[in-house]
Amino acid sequence: MDPPARGRRLYAALHLLDRQILDADSMMAGKVDDLEFESAHDGAAPVVTDILSGVGALGPRLGGRLGRWLTGIHRRLRPEPEPGPARISFGVVKKLDNHVELSLHRSELENNQLEAWTRDNLIAHIPGASDAPE
Amino acid sequence: MRLSELLDSDVTDRNGQRIGHVHDVQLVQDGPPLGTWGAAFRLEGLVVGPGSIGTRLGIARPEVKGPWILKLLFARRRSSRILIPWDRVRDIGDKHISADCVADECQGALERP
Repeated sequence: MDPPARGRRLYAALHLLDRQILDADSMMAGKVDDLEFESAHDGAAPVVTDILSGVGALGPRLGGRLGRWLTGIHRRLRPEPEPGPARISFGVVKKLDNHVELSLHRSELENNQLEAWTRDNLIAHIPGASDAPE
Repeated sequence: MRLSELLDSDVTDRNGQRIGHVHDVQLVQDGPPLGTWGAAFRLEGLVVGPGSIGTRLGIARPEVKGPWILKLLFARRRSSRILIPWDRVRDIGDKHISADCVADECQGALERP
């Protein structure tokens, strides 16, 4: 599906949803759990602006008991009162293939914040955590 | 608006007749420039049809070549899928979309991937 070509057509759910996201170092950086569209003010059709990733996006998408449970976990693990899903601007996508390749490093992504927060606030307090190798 | 808000929504035509539900949305890369990616993907239309196990498993999609016996079984279901251009979408509610056309008018109005 590369290189990016103007006028290319694809199906959003088939070609993008649930694909693995890789960062600039080809490290796994989450999955495409949803897409955000934004409508232009002139009435033009909406365009894809962001990839939504992580349980904050997957929970509402799945719905039902499992979805509510995932959303609850997301709320408990984030410091904000009403945390939204992690967003990755589609502008930093480098390549679309059977995975989505980004031009950013994992540490710069919003969906990495949950991992960092969990590491600093939960894992770090487990006895022996400071001995763990990097 | 999120993709998940559109997927699985029930779609009715201009006369209130149920067409099916949204299986997928078709995107075309001709939107405004977005960062280093280039032209953004614009929402071109909704892939709508009756639900079936073949659709759920992806067997009904043209690029899936087999198993041939399942392709044969679900071929009729696939032919009943239609592509509703985004400019014919009139209203989007909670898991319900109304289109400003009837199925025959929308069929074949857009190029497919």
